[in-house]
Amino acid sequence: MTEIINQIFALDIKMKKENNDSANRYLDRIYHEFETMGFQIVNPVGQSYRNEMTDVEANILGDLNKQSKITKVLKPVIYQVENNETKLLQKGIVIVE
Amino acid sequence: MKTINFAIDLGTTNSLIAKYDDGNIKIYNNPLGLKQTLPSCIAFRGNRTVIGDKALDYLEKDAENICMLFKRKMGTQDTYYVPSIDKEMSPIELSSLILKELKNFVNDEESMTSVVITIPASFDTIQSNATKKAGYMAGFKEVVLLQEPIAACLAFANTSSIEVSDKQNWIVYDFGGGTFDVALVEVNDRELKVTDNLGDNYLGGADFDNLIVEKLIVPFIEEKLGIANLWKDLKSKTTNFKGLYFELLKIAEEAKKELSHYEETEIELDIDINGDNFFEQFVIKREQFEDLIAPKVEQTIQFIQDVIKNNQLLNSQIERVILIGGSTYVPLIKKRISEAIGVEVNSTIDPTSAVVHGAAYYAGSKPASVSQDVLVVEKEEDTVDFKLFYEQNTRDLEELITGKVASDKVSGFRIMRKDGGYDSGVKTLDDGGFSEFVPLLEGRLNLFKIQLLNSALDVVKIIDTISINQGSYNVQGQPLPNDICMEVDDLDASATRLEKVFAKGSILPLRKKIYKTASKTILQQSKSNLIINIIEGKSKGLPSSGLSIGYIEISGKDLEEDLIKGTDIEIEIEVTESRDLKINVFLQSCDQEFKNVFSESERAISINKINMEINTVLGDVEALIKTNNSEENFEYSQQLETIRVGLIETQISASLINDDDISDAKFQLDDRKRKLIQDFDDLTRNKLIAKEIEEYKDTKSSLEYHLNKEENERYQEKYARIIKNEREVINSGNKYLIRSKIKELDELYDAIIQSSDENFITYFLNLKFCTEFSNQRRADKLFKQGDQALEKQDYKSLRHIVYGLSALLPDYEKEKQRNFKDDSRTGLS
Repeated sequence: MTEIINQIFALDIKMKKENNDSANRYLDRIYHEFETMGFQIVNPVGQSYRNEMTDVEANILGDLNKQSKITKVLKPVIYQVENNETKLLQKGIVIVE
Repeated sequence: MKTINFAIDLGTTNSLIAKYDDGNIKIYNNPLGLKQTLPSCIAFRGNRTVIGDKALDYLEKDAENICMLFKRKMGTQDTYYVPSIDKEMSPIELSSLILKELKNFVNDEESMTSVVITIPASFDTIQSNATKKAGYMAGFKEVVLLQEPIAACLAFANTSSIEVSDKQNWIVYDFGGGTFDVALVEVNDRELKVTDNLGDNYLGGADFDNLIVEKLIVPFIEEKLGIANLWKDLKSKTTNFKGLYFELLKIAEEAKKELSHYEETEIELDIDINGDNFFEQFVIKREQFEDLIAPKVEQTIQFIQDVIKNNQLLNSQIERVILIGGSTYVPLIKKRISEAIGVEVNSTIDPTSAVVHGAAYYAGSKPASVSQDVLVVEKEEDTVDFKLFYEQNTRDLEELITGKVASDKVSGFRIMRKDGGYDSGVKTLDDGGFSEFVPLLEGRLNLFKIQLLNSALDVVKIIDTISINQGSYNVQGQPLPNDICMEVDDLDASATRLEKVFAKGSILPLRKKIYKTASKTILQQSKSNLIINIIEGKSKGLPSSGLSIGYIEISGKDLEEDLIKGTDIEIEIEVTESRDLKINVFLQSCDQEFKNVFSESERAISINKINMEINTVLGDVEALIKTNNSEENFEYSQQLETIRVGLIETQISASLINDDDISDAKFQLDDRKRKLIQDFDDLTRNKLIAKEIEEYKDTKSSLEYHLNKEENERYQEKYARIIKNEREVINSGNKYLIRSKIKELDELYDAIIQSSDENFITYFLNLKFCTEFSNQRRADKLFKQGDQALEKQDYKSLRHIVYGLSALLPDYEKEKQRNFKDDSRTGLS
């Protein structure tokens, strides 16, 4: 399942990059379905990066400091919610600048 | 006799922990993250110590405060000076920190006193003793060492059940991410012994990834863009290609994995170079990859041949080669070894966990010499006094946890989010307390665990009760005074009902997307319509009893294409803080969107709709009056009569105004209508629900009668499943829920009845009391045939006769469905 989510996520990023929002609705629907299946998908792009975030694997460019931000997300963070308990299913792979 | 059971693979780059449990091996996952492996790497950041994955973050920025690969220095005088804490750290101390972190992988209730730790075959006595010392420093009372190749052989032998009767020579080939080792192991019926080993500390799978980038990807980009020196530029510190090197390494790693399974793989590059987007694909064949890595692989083959030669053996005297280490997934390795040595190459065991796996087997067979009671003295953790302060409910994505600890024993703390998404690392207390901002996962209950540690970083106390709810206000924020619902069709009951969108008490603003299917086809230009009616009121009540706060009619003439039954309808509903309602409807089959914003001051009301609703309720009121009159329940029917008269008056007034009337007459009417229907609802709801519950119980008991028969035992399981949440359903006070349960029971009942012809006897006898047959003459004839069949015990024929009689009975359901006319439906289901 994580592989399917990753592919959808990649597709989403690609369409956004090409300024193509014609399929946003369908992507939203797919994300909604993932959510009802108990997957919480987090795209941390733009967030400031803290070393304490153990849900991402960061590739850090240059110096890591308070201004460091997540500039690119290669794979999203996926949590799985089961019986109201949340657990990390996949670490995000990100680039931090 | 108690055995050691726990085993640790204390690796140069990665470490693992496992447990032997009654024949099974459990390898523990890092609770922070998902991997079994813990990178053997530690970052010292002044008052904070980070161990494992996250320590790697500081590799570039702060290399002097990062310690890794210290296993290579075990048993030497060398120490690592760490400027940020102004302290010399010995490889033993560093290793003990890794061991302590691995202990964290194991559940808190497990007490670990004894452990097996693996060491390379090349470790001498001093190095071995250093490893033992690290184990004691980490709090173990007993440390047993085991050589890694032996552990690998044990893992192999125990999973493949091989009988070894005479002396054999095995080779263990260990090709990891950063190191390479080869060991010659002598095996006989009693023992395993490492006789020789060789290795290279700077040869690993990471070299393969770099080769793919350097020799395949970079030349491709250079050629396409007509640039040069890209490889050099990528790795330079002052590069223009920020992040590209990492991105390409990731792509290369993926390609490497693909090529372990497939003959070729396609690399897709979608990257930014000098501000321009570069989007190209190209194919890498396995051959190309193999040509690339062949020299490295040959190097490793040479090591095997050297080991064999050094021990005066011939290739033919080697029984098998066992592959471990992540890089051995590459098929070329297996192929080249079997070509060069000419023996069976075994890759059945998991290359990453084989060592810890085998070590755990060993631990499971090795008696522990330290008993549990030695530890009792140390169980004084509950004496630590502490106080915590934090918000339990918040809308922020970060929250402050503050703590005060009144104990001299505690000098550090560590906060972890239980889902694995956050770890503060080990930090020192500041003036007996701490304050830490923790990130929260949106819309969820976030659970945290705090460890209090002493100066040797041993856990003294675990606080396990912290939960912070993200997404709810503590005090401020406007709650909804009523449920907000949407009217949808209930095809089973042939009526419409309310579906809750937002529950009473939810905090504004609210937003939700609902996905529905069209329950009818609406042709272009037809008069048929789709109704989106958003209602504020009790979700358990009748749709017409609530206040309609947003109403959209989409009719055939609004459509650009036909709306087909069964296609998706997406409805986005938003209530802002100022209580504006926004509805956004998207019809998938028409690819058309309708937007509407309502604010309470301009309520949209349709006379048509008022009329329709009154008609529906009026029918029910009249039917109820009739039954209550016949039951001589006059007081009750008088109350109903008042409602009936009120409804009719409202209807008459409604017929006197036009739909485009601009006075507030419409609103007055709507208010009156709602009031009346609410009265009706209140008067009947409890009765209705009581009736449904009664029916539920009846259905259940008649079903149980059949279930208790021996031949129906196989239905028990299904029955148990249906009634599992019975109490919840009955207490819900929601008749639709109860109804759906009854329906499930009915279906099971039918299935049981139809499984045997004899069950139709009772049916047949019951039918004799019916008087409502549409064709009495035909019914009489069937009864006569039935009696004969009964006499002859011909139950099969009886069954068909029952079917025939049932067909003559009036079908109330169909009748009701016919009355559920198109224009009283919303078109949503």
